[in-house]
Amino acid sequence: MKTDQVPVVPGLLTLDSSGAHLVGARCKTCLELYFPATQTCRNPICVSNDLESTRLASSGTLYSYTIQYYQPPALFKIDNWEPYAIGLVDLDDGVRVSGVLSDIAFDDIRIGDRVTLGALPLYIDDSGLQRMTHAFFKLDLAASDGAAAQ
Amino acid sequence: MSGVHILGAGAIPWGKQPVITQLQMALEAINAALRDAELNWKDVDGVVAASSRFEGGMGWGLHANEIVQAASERGVPCINVGGACAAGAIAFQTAFSMIASGQSETVVVIGAERMPKGFIPRPPGGADDITDNDFLRWVTMGLTNPAYWAMEAQRRIYDYKTTHESLAEAVMLMRRNAVYNPNARFRKSVTAAEVLASPMVTDPLHLLQICPVSDGAAALILCSEKFAARAARKSVEVAGVGIASGTYGDPAHRIPTVGGSVKSGVPHTSEVMSAAEKAMAMAGVEHDDVDVLEMADNTAWHLLAWPEMLGFVEPGQGDWMLQNHKYDVDGELALNPSGGFLSFGEATTAQAVLQICELVWQLRGEAVGRQVPNARVGMSAVLGLGANGGSVVLKR
Repeated sequence: MKTDQVPVVPGLLTLDSSGAHLVGARCKTCLELYFPATQTCRNPICVSNDLESTRLASSGTLYSYTIQYYQPPALFKIDNWEPYAIGLVDLDDGVRVSGVLSDIAFDDIRIGDRVTLGALPLYIDDSGLQRMTHAFFKLDLAASDGAAAQ
Repeated sequence: MSGVHILGAGAIPWGKQPVITQLQMALEAINAALRDAELNWKDVDGVVAASSRFEGGMGWGLHANEIVQAASERGVPCINVGGACAAGAIAFQTAFSMIASGQSETVVVIGAERMPKGFIPRPPGGADDITDNDFLRWVTMGLTNPAYWAMEAQRRIYDYKTTHESLAEAVMLMRRNAVYNPNARFRKSVTAAEVLASPMVTDPLHLLQICPVSDGAAALILCSEKFAARAARKSVEVAGVGIASGTYGDPAHRIPTVGGSVKSGVPHTSEVMSAAEKAMAMAGVEHDDVDVLEMADNTAWHLLAWPEMLGFVEPGQGDWMLQNHKYDVDGELALNPSGGFLSFGEATTAQAVLQICELVWQLRGEAVGRQVPNARVGMSAVLGLGANGGSVVLKR
């Protein structure tokens, strides 16, 4: 990752040579995972509040999706906005996360698709930094087989 | 017997109200409810207001105080309650408790709201950082409220082969009912072709399948059984009332969250299902006893999914019920004879009160044109941000 790329919100994701990872938290007692990271364990059967920062799984399965055809309120900043897909993904470690579904034709989106987490450039901020968000990309089966073989 | 009754219900026509203030809307609805109850302000000994963050309430959500200062300043207790879109149900629960405890005899419940235009934006007060989900969902992906419901609808299409036509059918039913409701905003029936030709907002939901925002107000007069027995007007019994918050592990991707954990055995939209279960248990009614259900139809998807989640029909049966007119006013379970949010538009804090008003009119046999034949038991269900659920069961 280039050094001028930063998460759109500090603490959202890590961007390094291993790719993009969402940053969550894990309860050291009950091992429950949270995204975004929480200060307290929300699991009602656990009374611990001892959490540690952790990277979440970077692949998952598409649970559902939508395509937003209207531009959201101004808090969402993206260069060259156009209708885009958002997916709801069951990450392989059990956390269900929503995120932009990127680089995929709307007609090719299928519930059950295997997806992988990446970073998507949104806009250049006032200090010239490229603000990045998390996004899901469809995992090409042939490509993932290739990756597994490496 | 809960010992609490409803003596009056009142609402104003919903829509865009460019001239009238939030306070005026509230006063009009309360005065309509008082007239309906054949009472006046001197009979009121408590006001509970669903508290809004958008307008009025002296900027602090003090709507009940503002109302009594404008209408009748006699030292009555004023309670202002939050609960977002379920605030009306929580206000109702509060008034119920005041009367059931014996502390009050007649309490006004009011919800009145003037909504900002367009997608409901992030309210002020949260931190602009990762700890605030309502900040995170906007800046990371611009996830709008209807998009959350759209993902539910898309999944339903996958799970149950729900068609675009049955998602249109839900809107047609609401509009057919609203034709006969003078307070509804959209009172023209629509065809499936019109629904599906309306702009696609968030796939698979078209514009007409998503409730818009409206300005609106509704009020109820609750009273003790003793007071009801003396009153000239026929009352309706509050048989059950329940409010609840969410359960951890709820499979719903809850607005405005970005991430969550799904646990087996936790019901979808647990806050509403828990509230409904409490209300039904308190009332001692079974699903078969309920003649009319007024439920939050933020989108067409809700009308298919909620009656299933509430246990009225089997999962996946909603489409068949709708297509075979089982949810019509004269069907097995009358669903939103008022026309629902799809015909009224969402006026957040007022809508749960409006649902209960409709139940009162139905149980008194006064819902001209949309009357559910021989309605004896009515139930409401509403969802609010923050995982607030509310439900009320009324009996004739």
